[in-house]
Parts: sequence; C-alpha cells; structure tokens
Amino acid sequence: MTRGAQGLHAEPVAVVAAGVITPLGVDVDSFWSGLLTGVDGISTIERFRVDDLRVGRGGEIKKLPAVTDGIRCRASALLVAAAADLRSRAPIDADATRLSVVVGTALGGVEEGEHALAHDRGPRRAAAARYDRPAHALARALGARGRVLTVSTACASGATALGLGADLLRADRADLVVAGGYDVLCRFVMRGFDVLRSLTRDRVRPFDRRRTGLLLGEGAALVLLARERDVRGERLGRLLGHGSASDGSHVAAPDPDGRGLEYSARTAMAEAGIEAGDVDFVSAHGTGTPLNDRIESAVLRRVLGDRADAVPVNSIKGAFGHTMGAAATLEAIMCLLASRHGAIPPTAGFEEPDPECGLDYVPRAPRRTRPRISVSTSAGFGGCNATLVLEGERGR
Amino acid sequence: MTAARVAAVGLITGFGDGVRALPDDAARAAGRRRVIGIPRTPVSGERFRRATRECVLGVRAVNALLAEAGESAGALAGTATALVYVTAAAYGAANRAFIESTGGSAGTLHFPYTAPSAVPAEVAIEFGLRGDYAILLGDGSATEEALWHATTLLGRGACARVLVLAVETFEECADLYARGRWLVRWPLVEAAACALLVPGEPTTPAPASAVRARSGETGACAPLIGFALALAEGGVPAP
Repeated sequence: MTRGAQGLHAEPVAVVAAGVITPLGVDVDSFWSGLLTGVDGISTIERFRVDDLRVGRGGEIKKLPAVTDGIRCRASALLVAAAADLRSRAPIDADATRLSVVVGTALGGVEEGEHALAHDRGPRRAAAARYDRPAHALARALGARGRVLTVSTACASGATALGLGADLLRADRADLVVAGGYDVLCRFVMRGFDVLRSLTRDRVRPFDRRRTGLLLGEGAALVLLARERDVRGERLGRLLGHGSASDGSHVAAPDPDGRGLEYSARTAMAEAGIEAGDVDFVSAHGTGTPLNDRIESAVLRRVLGDRADAVPVNSIKGAFGHTMGAAATLEAIMCLLASRHGAIPPTAGFEEPDPECGLDYVPRAPRRTRPRISVSTSAGFGGCNATLVLEGERGR
Repeated sequence: MTAARVAAVGLITGFGDGVRALPDDAARAAGRRRVIGIPRTPVSGERFRRATRECVLGVRAVNALLAEAGESAGALAGTATALVYVTAAAYGAANRAFIESTGGSAGTLHFPYTAPSAVPAEVAIEFGLRGDYAILLGDGSATEEALWHATTLLGRGACARVLVLAVETFEECADLYARGRWLVRWPLVEAAACALLVPGEPTTPAPASAVRARSGETGACAPLIGFALALAEGGVPAP
C-alpha cells in the first residue's frame, strides 16, 4: 500500500433497495429463498445450440417476465426486468437529469453481434452489438437523463459499477444512481469458455478439493444508491468502500500471488475505514476453478490475518453459475440480505475441504448469524480485481 | 479536490504518429476513404504472440507517451499508477473474429482477447501497472467520465498518477458501420491515445473543439487528442 487508511476514507453511500433477475428466480425474494433452500439454477441450455460443445449446461433463465415483452436484445431485457423488480421495492424519485445509470458487463450486446453477422443485415442489429447499448436501454426504461456509464472490468464489472456509482453521489454529480451489472448466456461466451476448457462436466464445487471448473449463468442485478443524508425510511444497507486493481500479470489467468486482489481488498477496507477485525463475512469470487479458489483463499487469509479462521466465507456460484458482469452485484445484494435475514447462504457444491484453501466455507446449510460488515471480492479476465465493503442494516 | 494536469500525451492515428501527422482537415485528407486505418506494425517479443492489433496499439501509445515525457518503461510500474481505459469499439474486431470462426475451434484468436479488458491488461503487464483500475465503454463522453474518475482518484490520494488510455479500431468491422452509415460520422480514423494525469495546476482550459476537424471520428480518443493539440501549442491542459 502506498497510502494510509486515514486519507482514503470515503463517505458511506446508502443502498436503498435491490432488484434482480437470476436463474434462481426473477426477483429478490425468490433469489434469496433459492439460495437458502438449495434450489439448483443449473440446467441444460435450451435457447441456443450447444450440441457441439463439451459442456451444454449453465444457469439459463427459462422465462423472462412480461415487462420485457417486445425487447429484442436479451441483455437489455434482463436489465429492464431487474429494474422492474427494483422499482417494485422503492420509488425512484429524482429529477430525471439527476438520475444516473452505471452498469457493468463482460459481454454487453455481443449476442446482437452474433445475430448481425449471422442473418440480420439491418443496421440496428449491428449498432446494438456495442457493449454500451444495454445501459442506454435501461436509462430509457427508467426515464433517466443523467449520466449513463458502462463499465467492463470483466467479471468484476458489477463491483466496479457500484464503486463508480457511489463516487457520482459523493461528488454531487447525481442525486440517485441505479447501479449494477448484467450478462447473458449466449453461444459466444459458451464457446469461449468451452475452448478454454474452463467449464466443468461435474457440478460447480467452489473450494472443494474435487473442483474442476465453473459453469456460466446469466442475470442482472441492480441497486438504488443514494447519499445517506437524502434517504428517508428503510434501506437495505450501506456501501462503505470499493477498491480495484490490475494484476499486471496475465491476460486470462489470475496473478499467482493474488497481488491485485489483495490490493483491491485492502483499498476497499481502507476506504471503508475498517480493519480485519471488523469483518463478519466474506462473499468470495469462488468460481470453482482450481487456480482461483486457491489463490483467493490465500489472499483472504493474508487480509483477514488472525481472524481468517473465524470469518465465514461463501460462494454462491455453485447455485446458478458464474453470471459474469452480474455476479459481483448479486453477491453484494446477497451480503446485505444476509444481514437483513440473519442467515448466510451455504456454498453450494462444497463438500470435501481442500487443504490448500482451508477457510470456513459455510458447508451444506445456511449459517444462522447476522453479519454487519461484509467484504465481497471479484476478479476477471485482464487481471481485473474489485472489492466492496458493505454494511447491513443490522448495523444501524 | 486536488487539481490535476495533463503531464504528457501519447498519440497514434491513422494519419501517423503524434499531432504533427494530423491534417488540418481530416475529411479532405480522407478523400473517398471512409476508414483511415493504422498500418500494422509488429511489436517484438514472444509475449505479444497472441495479442490483438488493438492491444499492440495500446502499448505503442504508452511507449509514445513515455518517449515524449523522456521517461523509462519502468516509470509507470507499481501501485502508484492507476489505469483507466476507454473504448467504444476496439473489441469489435476480436468479437467478430471469434464469432466467425467455425466448428469447435476458435481459430487462432485466444478467447480472452475478445474482452475489452484485454487491451489495458496488455498495457498493465507491459509497463507493470498494478494500481487502481477501471474500464469504461463508450465514445468521447465516456472518456470525459474517465477523466473525471481519474481526477477523483488523484484527489482522494488513491494514486500518484493516472494513465488514461483510449484505443479505437474500425477496419475489421467497416462493413458493419456501413450498414448504419447515417448513424456514423465519417471518416472513422483509428487511434490510440493516452494521457498521464498528475496533481498540479493546469494553465489552459479544456481542449478546443477543433479535434474532430483535425482528426476525424476517433471515438473515445477524441478528448485525449484534444490534450495532445493543447500540449503541442505549449499549454498545460486540465482534464
């Protein structure tokens, strides 16, 4: 670290409410109950051809809600569905020019590019392939005329978006920010991970000694962010800190020492003004790949220090796959729901501990505890790392 | 908030290297050409064996910046340098190549290079950047947000300097742009540009609006080209 925690400390930002669409369910309530009760969000992919791939399973959303009828771009549809869930939980009440949208994605509108190159020669398909288009579709659906940002720190995008959204509020460049992440399960990304041999033929088993890889999923997750002093009434929690870092190590693989992830975690904790002893729960990136889970566990052990064995760590990717740009926001929401409901979802698929990982991964059943401070770590292609520090409403 | 200034700029466009290569009138210089591409220049080293053209352009732009600033390749290394990358379209070529590859194989393109994060990853690896990291997607307005984010990082004391990098390539998808030709400002000029932001007092206002006339449509690179023009005129521009 080149700076002290004192100088970095940032004003907390309220997380007023959340909205999601996931393979476990198309709203926050079904997402949460699915995590606690062990619903399996993995299925055979039906929406596009997978018969030539090694693995044809993933976290596919089988039916989109009616609010998305008429929306051709699936990425935009997922965002609109999550926004509808969000709006059902909290009014989005701001001058349209002061309502901003910040969303993260690894794939943007790439599926539109597949259509544009395959059969649809019209100009709109090609234009819709730009990765920033779904964010503008969301802004239109919300009536937002403030800043519209798309971030793409690969599979850490959903965390980066929340960090940037919070900064917009702190700098008074917006009064409300709808922030989050999304990605679709499409042939492009399934082929890509298939070629890389990253997909498992088994189930996803984060931190388990038998883990052999990940499965992909799709979804969208949004939160409504506001300045603490502007919030009246109930909120889900607070975003205390965000940190990011590049590995500067490899385009596809994580840094073997996890330096970037560690830097992002320490930066986020410094921004939040917390120490390792304050951390009650960690939502890990936990992809279920041999390399990630071992490196991430070592990083968490260094960051948490003496507390490492006492802090529960989970990964929810075993339940419905790795939703890429949506993952970090879904995990942040999960952290806040854990505080609200007094339960930490188990790490689905984790049964046999790997001595090379060695933390408390919340096996088999939900853990009945009410975390106040949660840390959520994320990483992605290109050496992208991001960490969020969140405070559940228990702390209020 | 700490004031920030632009300390140095690196620029490569389809017209050549640096601002001196920019014509007075890009549209006239382009003639009937709709896309002004950057000629392929190999970068030595086994590490770049898989790297895409846009990755190589990003590295070349940073090398140009370091040369202008008289700094060594190691000057940006470590956690004290943040990296903020912006592009509207540079991932298009790799996306297309991957989509159009057939069968179970993805051809010669390594899948991770389809991600927008591949370009800043290669830059981070090449120059050892391990500090704060953000990637924004969009055209010049996204770069304006990236510059704001960079000044925020400096103001918060999160880093000593920020490298803001933008890369745009168009040639491989020129036919797709032509489908929606009325949506596109021509000529599309490929570019890779970067600016090094440091704490300090700027002496000139934000760059002038003559950028598009000089450089054509360069997407996310346009605001950084404005800095290059201002620096060439002896100014110390504000981000």
